Amino acid sequence: MSFIEMNHIRKQFGNLEVLKDVTLHMERGEVISIIGPSGSGKSTFLRCLCQLETINRGEIIVDGQYMVKTPEGSQRAVYEPASQVRAICRRMGMVFQHFNLFPHMTVLDNILEAPRIVKGMKTNEILPVAESLLKRVGLWSKKDAYPSQLSGGQKQRVAIARALAMQPDIMLFDEPTSALDPELTGEVLRTIKQLADEDMTMIIVTHEMAFAKEVSDRVLFMAEGIVQEEGSPEQIFEHPQNERTQSFLKSMLRF
Amino acid sequence: MEYLLHIVPAVAVGLQVTLKIFIITIVLSLPLGVVMAIARISKIKPLSKFMGAYIYIMRGTPLMLQILFIYYGLPFIIDGLKLADFPAAIIAFVFNYAAYFAEIFRGGIQSIDKGQYEGAKVLGMTYVQTMRRIILPQVVKRVLPPVANETINLLKDTSLVYILAMNDILRITRSIVQRDFDTTAFIVAAVFYLFFTFILTKVFSYLEKRFAVYDE
Repeated sequence: MSFIEMNHIRKQFGNLEVLKDVTLHMERGEVISIIGPSGSGKSTFLRCLCQLETINRGEIIVDGQYMVKTPEGSQRAVYEPASQVRAICRRMGMVFQHFNLFPHMTVLDNILEAPRIVKGMKTNEILPVAESLLKRVGLWSKKDAYPSQLSGGQKQRVAIARALAMQPDIMLFDEPTSALDPELTGEVLRTIKQLADEDMTMIIVTHEMAFAKEVSDRVLFMAEGIVQEEGSPEQIFEHPQNERTQSFLKSMLRF
Repeated sequence: MEYLLHIVPAVAVGLQVTLKIFIITIVLSLPLGVVMAIARISKIKPLSKFMGAYIYIMRGTPLMLQILFIYYGLPFIIDGLKLADFPAAIIAFVFNYAAYFAEIFRGGIQSIDKGQYEGAKVLGMTYVQTMRRIILPQVVKRVLPPVANETINLLKDTSLVYILAMNDILRITRSIVQRDFDTTAFIVAAVFYLFFTFILTKVFSYLEKRFAVYDE
């Protein structure tokens, strides 16, 4: 059994079927990028894994533990008890397109908050962790600033540090550079790359093709709620088999 | 001048009633308003419907009617529940103002970006933790101006208790005017109200400055 298994995931918003039977298996330490046109369901798929969306059908298993399953012959997915779902979700860190930092807290408090109130850690226990994380993303000097005083790239690096402070096994990135000015994407991508080099298990939804190619072990191309093609970066970017993949990549490179 | 020295202490006696009602109402109705706002936006339909009806009634009828109802009407509905004037007034004020505060807080809570809830959720926070640590502190900043408005309103609304023959600033003032055929007392009363409004304005502008340390 793989580290993460998402099997036959289906998700509807009203009458709109956003995910039509999507399956993903990944191993510990693997880095997967999901690319595809907007509206293809890639963000929704990622959000289903960390319970920001509930699925209609399918199953999600993380490290052998069921989060949700669909009983044989049933039409609806059944979630495990809230405590188990919560325990599984706590193993994941998520980074959003719009950062979602807490604007009323300083950079340091943004990082300390969850370990303190969710894990019940004392400030002096978590402070060294926060310090090393902020130093790692190069923002220790900004620890007393408020998020509004930071650039987009700095905000996203704080958001990454904040997620890492909970010591997750899995990091999920939902278009982490899409809201950034082009000259600021580099600093964020470098931070993510660094995590990949440390064998963090990661799923990255992105429009940065060059980055996806460089950092991932495997690339998924999604369109219309289906995984159209899946393979190594070389396969997907150099020798795409699927027509949709070819035309998508062509449109991305047309400058 | 001598006349002033004579009436100011008399009016000041009414200050006690006015301030007591004001302070007790603020202290009780603000937290009650928060709870009601959360109930109003609750996913539990009967609860939010009930809160909606409650707020409609409290905002849709005059506060004076509510005071009269609790004082005179309640004993007819619940046998033997005859409240003294002060508790009756407090109950009416607290439940009325809580309804207004609830609507202010509801607007504030709903104005917070969905991403804040998601950010808190993926960090493992529960709904209560998210509300207490993430959402409500941001709501406070946003609702300060309308809350200041309501608070100043309340200060002046306390004069409605004259209907229960309670001797607040305004009722005492009126009796002085009627006794002496001299309207100076009205000016004195106005100065009292203005003085406390001035203090409230200062308090709220201090709070707004404190919350101005961060932008959104």
